[in-house]
Amino acid sequence: MLQVINLTKTYPNGTQALKQVSFEVQDGEFLAVIGLSGSGKSTLLRCINRLIEPTSGQVRWDGVDVTAASGRDLRNIRRQIGMVFQQFNLVKRSPVITNVLSGRLGYTSPWRSLFNSFSKEDRARALDNLEQLGLQDKAYVRADSLSGGQQQRVGIARALMQEPKLVLADEPVASLDPVLAHTILKYLEQMNRERGITVLCSLHFLDLVHRYATRAIALKDGEVVFEGLPHEIDDAQFKAIYGQEAERVSIV
Amino acid sequence: MTASAHFPTPSFKRKLPALLSLVFPGAGQVYLRKRWRGIAILVMMVVLVFLIQWAFDNFKVGLWDFGPFTTSWLWVALSGFWAWNVFDAYRLAQGRSASRWLAFLLPLIIIYVIAWQVTDVKLDRLVTRFSDAQIVFRAIANPDLLERDKAAQIGQTTFWVPCSSPPQPLPTLAEPYQLRTDVACGDVGEAITLRGQGLIPGMTGNIYWYLEPDGTREGQVREGGQAVEITIKADGTFETTFAIPKIAGLDGVDPANPLLQAIQVRFIQEVGPLHLSATFGDIIGRTVEGVFIPGQIFATLALGLLATIFSTLLAVPLSFFAAHNVMERVPGGTAIYYVMRTILNVVRAVDTIVWGLLVIVWVGLGNLAGLIALTIHSTAALAKLFSEEVEHIDHGPIEALTATGANLLQVIRYGIVPQIYSPFLAYTLLRWDINMRSATVVGFVAGGGIGFFVVETIRKGGYREYAAALWAIAVVIILVDWISGKWRQRIAEGDTKMVLLRPKPWYKSLRKLIYTFLLLAIFVGCLSILQIDLRKLFDPSPSFGKLLGDFVTFDLSREVLDTVLKQMLITVFQALIATTFGALVAIPFSFLAARNLMSRTWLSRGIYYVVRSIFNVLRSIEALLYVAIFVFWVGIGAFAGALALTITTFALIGKLFSEAIENIDAGPLEAITATGATRLQAIVYGILPQIVPPFVSYAIYQWDINIRISTIIGFAGGGGIGLLLSTFFGQLQYHKAGTAVLLIVLVIVAMDFASAQIRQKLV
Repeated sequence: MLQVINLTKTYPNGTQALKQVSFEVQDGEFLAVIGLSGSGKSTLLRCINRLIEPTSGQVRWDGVDVTAASGRDLRNIRRQIGMVFQQFNLVKRSPVITNVLSGRLGYTSPWRSLFNSFSKEDRARALDNLEQLGLQDKAYVRADSLSGGQQQRVGIARALMQEPKLVLADEPVASLDPVLAHTILKYLEQMNRERGITVLCSLHFLDLVHRYATRAIALKDGEVVFEGLPHEIDDAQFKAIYGQEAERVSIV
Repeated sequence: MTASAHFPTPSFKRKLPALLSLVFPGAGQVYLRKRWRGIAILVMMVVLVFLIQWAFDNFKVGLWDFGPFTTSWLWVALSGFWAWNVFDAYRLAQGRSASRWLAFLLPLIIIYVIAWQVTDVKLDRLVTRFSDAQIVFRAIANPDLLERDKAAQIGQTTFWVPCSSPPQPLPTLAEPYQLRTDVACGDVGEAITLRGQGLIPGMTGNIYWYLEPDGTREGQVREGGQAVEITIKADGTFETTFAIPKIAGLDGVDPANPLLQAIQVRFIQEVGPLHLSATFGDIIGRTVEGVFIPGQIFATLALGLLATIFSTLLAVPLSFFAAHNVMERVPGGTAIYYVMRTILNVVRAVDTIVWGLLVIVWVGLGNLAGLIALTIHSTAALAKLFSEEVEHIDHGPIEALTATGANLLQVIRYGIVPQIYSPFLAYTLLRWDINMRSATVVGFVAGGGIGFFVVETIRKGGYREYAAALWAIAVVIILVDWISGKWRQRIAEGDTKMVLLRPKPWYKSLRKLIYTFLLLAIFVGCLSILQIDLRKLFDPSPSFGKLLGDFVTFDLSREVLDTVLKQMLITVFQALIATTFGALVAIPFSFLAARNLMSRTWLSRGIYYVVRSIFNVLRSIEALLYVAIFVFWVGIGAFAGALALTITTFALIGKLFSEAIENIDAGPLEAITATGATRLQAIVYGILPQIVPPFVSYAIYQWDINIRISTIIGFAGGGGIGLLLSTFFGQLQYHKAGTAVLLIVLVIVAMDFASAQIRQKLV
């Protein structure tokens, strides 16, 4: 279980990205985080695995205080939490397989990994994950020769290599075509259902939230303005989250 | 607030800016809120005043002699500029502006007049002294790389000076004799006939007079200033008549005491097949008892390669300290960043050759000094390029790897190294090319490599040896240029290439093992060729500390500053003249070397390849190596240096210009032709706007480069601050040398900045 308690983040330039944010995520949930650009979604996800240092508040993961961990402890927590990024964040010049294997670094001894030496099991697992994502024939091509949707699937494969219990997905489909968006989210959904991985996913489009999420929270100006089931977001709620001028749009 | 509040008359308000500019150039423009225009005018004015006064004091440039006082007519041109500035302010006040042509033209005239005289341009010498230069050109056409064995045939007979009475009898000659005279004796100036027989036909030779038959005192027999030349006829005989030379009477002419002297005929001919000459052995290498001993060109290759390897190893860590995105995360990093950037820029501004002068104080003349000098300069240049690449690292993968729980070392290995490896390798290859070129000249001061060999041959006047070295350098540099270029192209293309097979780790792939082994072998080979003794590094000469101390206590006395400044300005003007000449000559040739214009017929394609090859060959040789030719042609001095620079400028700019022409977009030409414009109009409006900005931009860039090279061209007799520097270093006046280097750094850093700014505005 993930508990976020009174999480606050103030950037050095004074911007308050998160204000006393609190919520809980039960194991096995697919929680969507919605909100406008700049509402604090990315900051929230990055504070959970401490890519960004929160100013105050607490994050507890399976009873362990993530905000207090450091060094090896922090890395051990991080390796249980996979992350998928809007810009995929692959090493473009490296082959796909190396990008996928790099998800295993938290489990590999540093000296061994320096020479690009991974165990046979890890390599087999990497190929296996790629196959499940339909990329088995792309294992040895350079990452930047893939299309955007393929790159995001490599990103998911990398997260899967961590054998995570939780996956943080930061706008995983915002850089992709609408059709591809569904493909990617279906993989996340599959992960969530078949492997029981908890998914925390920030999304832009409400109909994607309706379609995939089991629960949703909404952020506005760094504050939680909604918490509940996706279909509970009615027009009034919608205007509260996205502002008075917003119109509902749907994608394919 | 403004002046207009006090003087409300509109006509005065219009005239005020003009008045202001009359009193203080640029003030009117500033008043009219054209701040940069005003500042530019003021700066230009100050610079021109200084230059005119300086040029008049030192070189009497533009001298007008009015008896009691003298002045420079350039002041008149300056007044013109002043007047323009007033007129411009007047026009601006009316909301219009004066023609910009005059604003550029007048200062340009002043600057070029000064540059012309300061560089001591004497174009007539190129024609009048062409015959002197022909020796060098003939040597270049016939370099000392191959030779034949020489066969000699010598015939000798005796002769009495003068005749006694009765005359001495002819010497009795045993058959088959080779040589005989018609008389046995004679006095100085008398004609004798010499006959030979039984000789190898076809050979030519000269006659030598010996004061004793077995002595060493000899003189060549000449007729009208020319050596008498005889050729053996087909039947093996010859016959020639000449006057007995003066040397025969050297020991006195006394009929009572005639002296027995000797006449010798020497025929020397090249026989047998061509084989490699001794110079070839010096330059490229020779085989002694089955062992290949590499020559100077291999030492040069080794210098360039080792300097590249060492500087890359040093530059990689340094580049992170000079990268803004890295250092802003470290406490106090921003300060380190600025310090690092400054150090790199200063070190880069000082040429390899000048570093060589400093290094030889430390480790003495030799390959090691050359290697260190090359490494220092190359490290700074590479670290700057690397750091810019580090600043472009994509932060995303680093974030993603951190999120997987990887530690710092793993993040560097998997997130940063793959991103920088290829660009770093490409820059290293580019630098290898540049280092090879520098390695060919570093020997001029530091010893080692082919540069040292060239200096020696020039000193001995061995132009055919010099030519051989030039050809060898051209071949090697073109080869290195080609390899480096192809390799870099492959790296760039590799960005999109698909790898379909699973690559093996390096220790399992035979090819990579071989490469690794080869690289190690080359490295060890280079070290052994150069015979570097690294212990010298830790054993500097005892005076090193004192000299280094002297070097950084700059001598800023008036006299030294004047001398240094004078030579620095000569250097800048020399570079300007060279850039102008080179660019002007390059313009027509660049059209001939543009593939898109020259691909129509086989003839034009042929011309294209010829011009391209000329560019490549000329470009492969450093300006410093060309100076010797022009010193011989037009004499030592700034003009010779300017001409040497003109050659390299011509080649480099010609290549860049032709590429600019190749990049012309045909669209505008088509569009303008479609409006019904004439061919000329179409060219003026469709083509010129596309090529003039890049041309000007390249020319300014080249001027920047040329100033750098100009600072060292004096080491070979090309004038400017290089000559002064070598004198200061030679006389161990390190405090003065420090001043000169300081000024060089200031000028080059300033020019670098200015040229980058101007080029940015142009393109």
